[in-house]
Amino acid sequence: MTASATLAELLADLARILPKERFLTEAAQLAPYESDALTAFRARPCAVVLPQTSEEVVEIVRTCARHKVPFTARGSGTSLSGGSLPVEGGVVIGLNRLNRLLRLDPNERIAVVQPGHINLRVSDAAAPYGLYYAPDPSSQPVSTIGGNLAFNSGGAHCLKYGMTSNHVLGAKVVLPTGEVVELGGESLEGLGPDWLGLFVGSEGLMGIALEVTLRLLPKPEKYHTLLAAYDALEKAGDAVAAVVASGLLPGAMEIMDNLAIEAAEAAVHAGYPTAARALLIVELEGEAPQVEAEAEQLSRVIERSGPYEVRVARDAEERMKIWKGRKAAFSAVGRLSPDYIVQDGVVPRSKLGRALAEIERLSQEHGLRVANVFHAGDGNLHPLILYDGKVPGELERGERLAGEILRMCVRLGGTITGEHGVGMEKKEYMPEMFAEADLEAMRRIRRAVDPLELSNRGKMFPGGEAPAVTAHGAHPLEQAGVISRE
Amino acid sequence: MTLRPTTVQELQEAIPTQERWLPRGGGSKPALSTPRAGQAVLDMTGLRGVLEYDPGEFVLVAQAGTPLIEVEGLLAQHGQYLPFDPPFVEAGATLGGTVAAGLSGPLRQRYGGVRDFILGVKFVDGEGNLIKGGGKVVKNAAGFDLPKLMVGSLGRLGVLTEVAFKVFPFPKATVTLRVSLGSLEEAIQTLYALACSPFEFYTLDLEPSPARLILRVGGLGQALPLRIERILGFLGTSRAVERLEGEPERQYWREIGQLQWGAGHLVKVPITAKQISALEARLPMGERRYLSAGNLLYLRWPGEIAQLDQLLRSQGLSGLVLGGGEAAHLESPRIGVDCSQAFGHRVTQALDPLSRFAP
Amino acid sequence: MQHKIPVQELGPQGEIMAHAVEACVHCGFCLPACPTYSVLGEEMDSPRGRIFLMKEVLEGNLELEEAAPYLDKCLGCVGCVTACPSGVPYGELISTFRGWSEPRRHRPPFQKLYRMAIQETLPYPRRFRAAAMLGQLGQRMKPLLPKPLQAPLELLPEALPMAQPLPELFPAEGRRRARVAFLAGCAQQVLQPNFNWATLRVLAKNGVEVLIPQAQSCCGALAMHTGERARALSLARNNLRAFSGEVDAVLTNAAGCGSGLKEYPLLFRGEAEETEAAAFARKVRDVSVFLAELGLEPPPALKTPLKVAYHDACHLAHAQGVRAEPRALLRSIPGLELLEIPEGELCCGSAGTYNLEQPAIAATLGERKARNILATGAQVVATGNIGCFTQIQTHLRKLGKDLPVLHTMELLDKAYNG
Repeated sequence: MTASATLAELLADLARILPKERFLTEAAQLAPYESDALTAFRARPCAVVLPQTSEEVVEIVRTCARHKVPFTARGSGTSLSGGSLPVEGGVVIGLNRLNRLLRLDPNERIAVVQPGHINLRVSDAAAPYGLYYAPDPSSQPVSTIGGNLAFNSGGAHCLKYGMTSNHVLGAKVVLPTGEVVELGGESLEGLGPDWLGLFVGSEGLMGIALEVTLRLLPKPEKYHTLLAAYDALEKAGDAVAAVVASGLLPGAMEIMDNLAIEAAEAAVHAGYPTAARALLIVELEGEAPQVEAEAEQLSRVIERSGPYEVRVARDAEERMKIWKGRKAAFSAVGRLSPDYIVQDGVVPRSKLGRALAEIERLSQEHGLRVANVFHAGDGNLHPLILYDGKVPGELERGERLAGEILRMCVRLGGTITGEHGVGMEKKEYMPEMFAEADLEAMRRIRRAVDPLELSNRGKMFPGGEAPAVTAHGAHPLEQAGVISRE
Repeated sequence: MTLRPTTVQELQEAIPTQERWLPRGGGSKPALSTPRAGQAVLDMTGLRGVLEYDPGEFVLVAQAGTPLIEVEGLLAQHGQYLPFDPPFVEAGATLGGTVAAGLSGPLRQRYGGVRDFILGVKFVDGEGNLIKGGGKVVKNAAGFDLPKLMVGSLGRLGVLTEVAFKVFPFPKATVTLRVSLGSLEEAIQTLYALACSPFEFYTLDLEPSPARLILRVGGLGQALPLRIERILGFLGTSRAVERLEGEPERQYWREIGQLQWGAGHLVKVPITAKQISALEARLPMGERRYLSAGNLLYLRWPGEIAQLDQLLRSQGLSGLVLGGGEAAHLESPRIGVDCSQAFGHRVTQALDPLSRFAP
Repeated sequence: MQHKIPVQELGPQGEIMAHAVEACVHCGFCLPACPTYSVLGEEMDSPRGRIFLMKEVLEGNLELEEAAPYLDKCLGCVGCVTACPSGVPYGELISTFRGWSEPRRHRPPFQKLYRMAIQETLPYPRRFRAAAMLGQLGQRMKPLLPKPLQAPLELLPEALPMAQPLPELFPAEGRRRARVAFLAGCAQQVLQPNFNWATLRVLAKNGVEVLIPQAQSCCGALAMHTGERARALSLARNNLRAFSGEVDAVLTNAAGCGSGLKEYPLLFRGEAEETEAAAFARKVRDVSVFLAELGLEPPPALKTPLKVAYHDACHLAHAQGVRAEPRALLRSIPGLELLEIPEGELCCGSAGTYNLEQPAIAATLGERKARNILATGAQVVATGNIGCFTQIQTHLRKLGKDLPVLHTMELLDKAYNG
């Protein structure tokens, strides 16, 4: 059978599952789904389907499996690693309409949501009970729990309470073969192996979550958010080490360099001291008396670290403002440069200073500006490499620079991604981190779960991408007589 | 037959030489470490020692056979600890055995269990391949989360050789409050109220009869008196509260950490607070303690395991027998509801195609 | 992302569009801010998707007619501009794109006629008045009319107020503190003449002398936002002349008109009047901003306390960044309790002529807004735009709730004059 005949049958079957308005096949409908938030890659799916029930998702997956056509689940399309990039000619399963909060049990402190539920909406729903959902990726007003789960999203507040996988208790999952399984449950404890732990962060390679049980935490009684401005990046880095050495465990420690400060300030007018070479945000959280005592200790430590200005948020509004600037920083860099590459490496905290000096050197060597925003408490660097795609050769130079930064992270004992995932972007760097035997074990697991490699094909593993499904000429649906154009 | 490898390579080479292997650490959980017919034992205590530890990084890397007591001693020198609070420290439990059994203790209430603190693993699979997963930094999203997969795997997917953990500073001061409550129901309602409150507890344990909540509060010494006062205010004046500090407090928790109370089989049961009342109504015997706001039950069961198996099934619960009684001769340490599913079978098959680690 | 928009071929308009398209980093922060995305949940009905579609059309990869249905659904509320961390000038992009694409569109004859009818009546108070009276006749025959004609009828009031022509000059009370020119707005003159009278009385009370140039015309925003660039230019040229007198500021009390006037520099990009338009736009103020800057004469306390929900008109909040000033004015009325509307940043669905052209989405948004307003428990709704007024009143009434909707200036007027 020819590829286009297979495709025509697939599309005809999908058209039976979904009404026309939720089954998108026209050029203008498909084009906007070609990229997620990593626009270096584009791929045109053969169809975008917008299921509204779990049953529809299961049917769609089974249909794809029957026709051996790859599929990609997509939430809000905010992946910075190309995680929801379609497979060329495959099916995109848009889950943003499966966005309901199914259950919230304030006593047990859990929320059960559909995969298209927006991260921040979980905390909104939990707020009346004094609870919140802890993982806070910068994209949290936009990104979905399904996507957060697939990529084990992090955020600024990971040091103390971990990433997404530490806050997911259970998931109902449709496997790439179409079987539906329950992983985990409602308890914080389980009997292993921790299958759910494996599923979270598997980048969509092992199926699609249909329902997710999340753990909620009591909202801290008090926050103490401190902003310190330094005339040198190293001083900010040393301050982080000093805070940790003092035995404090802040909820978040963030550093922004001058370029990032400039961009964030332009975007949201956070009131940052724009002349600073580096800005350190430290946030303590918890019971009021404890936070007050810690705040005294913190101010002593910060004082000794040589900042030229220190501010403490006086109220919730000032705190929000400080965080708004930080969280908008990535996208805000779009104001400084027509294009940029976001990187996401991790180094051991004690090697932050060395890593930053090395980035500075690499930046000069490649003749490209690099803005730095990072979760300093976790050693999670986010160098933003600024380039102009219209200048011949700049993109390639930017990519080389990005690669060298990642290799440096591994060399210093860190990792190529702290929270954005491997996706499309970093798959070629996996061998820097893992030996062939490690990758082969992961591939074995992948193939055991998804023998045809249909689920989000082409992500995470270096090279060896299975061939895309392509068809030329009239749209296969036209050939099948399902649709027609006037 | 028992083999005690002292290098990873020795271990890798040994795997293909036997049809059935059972890895064992300190043997502190006999129901999990006693070989069944046809199983040869891999004694992992030969692969021991801390490999990397920089207090400033909050990361500790050690060989899987390293005894917990050694790790905790080292951490304590720098005011740090394993926040998931593994049990059986004094009984000789190892890091690897703790991960494979998936065990956490009372302090897991504050920051999480063993799954929340494991950062990296190395293990040898059913074909002798050495496989690395995760990393040695506190945040990592590269590749499949094999470290978590190993938690509670009971050696079924491979033999752990190295583990990396996130560690935290231990609170500068702690106080334990034992709060007596009128009834189990009242205790559960109080537990809910405390767990949803902004009070931060290092432990939030429940003893069902007589009903009692055991709260451990920690932090900076100067803030503790006010915090305790506020908690007591929250609980109301009518409660009988016993206060433990200093050496008696440490002694109390050391004993709890051995899970040595009562007699009979020791069983771990993951649970939620809302399931406790129904289970309690049917449990005829056994010393027990619910940890971490009602999420983890450690039960001493003096009766027949088959009876407990039925009981757990009727409540939709599963359990893991760790030791005690005639545990060593059980058909399987897993009792109660069978949660196995297609996903698990396939992944197991991928890592151990010849079922070398099958019971 | 690689961009190949042929800027040379497209001229000054092309530069505006290319700049905006290239500024988008596809982060998706605009999605929750977009009313159509929140209703339709499809990428092509989001700002990020539309930017991509416009890029594809401009680069020649996609037929304009294929992209058009999704671009037409954009309300132009520019809520996305507020949400965008990268500073993409989406409003400039969509207006310019519509201007570029409209002459290239193949609209069905009925749609053409319908659009023309709107463009030929709404901006001209006398014609609009005549049409509206005709429309009241039509309301009785509504069930007999084709669907597209029903939408505008639903928004018409049951009775039209008498025409009340404004004077050429409205003097200040007491010491004159400022002298301004006033743009009277088109639709509101017919539908709610009291918006203007209340505004004039409040200004007078605050010592502001108001000139109302009789030669003024519609600001042209409607035409500009629907791609009728030639018509917009001609209206705007007329206003540049009509408002050429020496004044402290050019005021408007309609959000849409205010942002339209401020967009003159964009409209005249590459035209002879570019500099003049820029100078003019610098003088334009919403009346609330002007009064807040001038310092408001403190109003006396209300006789009975009043709970007021303030509705942010998109063309004030998102397009002009005016949020604090109207709130500050209202808060200065003793006895008035100001309430915030949930999802306040989301458009009410009025959006110029949108509720006439995309009635289904507009109605969904209108109902959502009405429900959010009711959730506040307010007794009165305040807003600074005639379009929002009509839409909100219509949808509150549909829910059987007839709470008064007033212009911010009407509330101030009531406070001053009892």
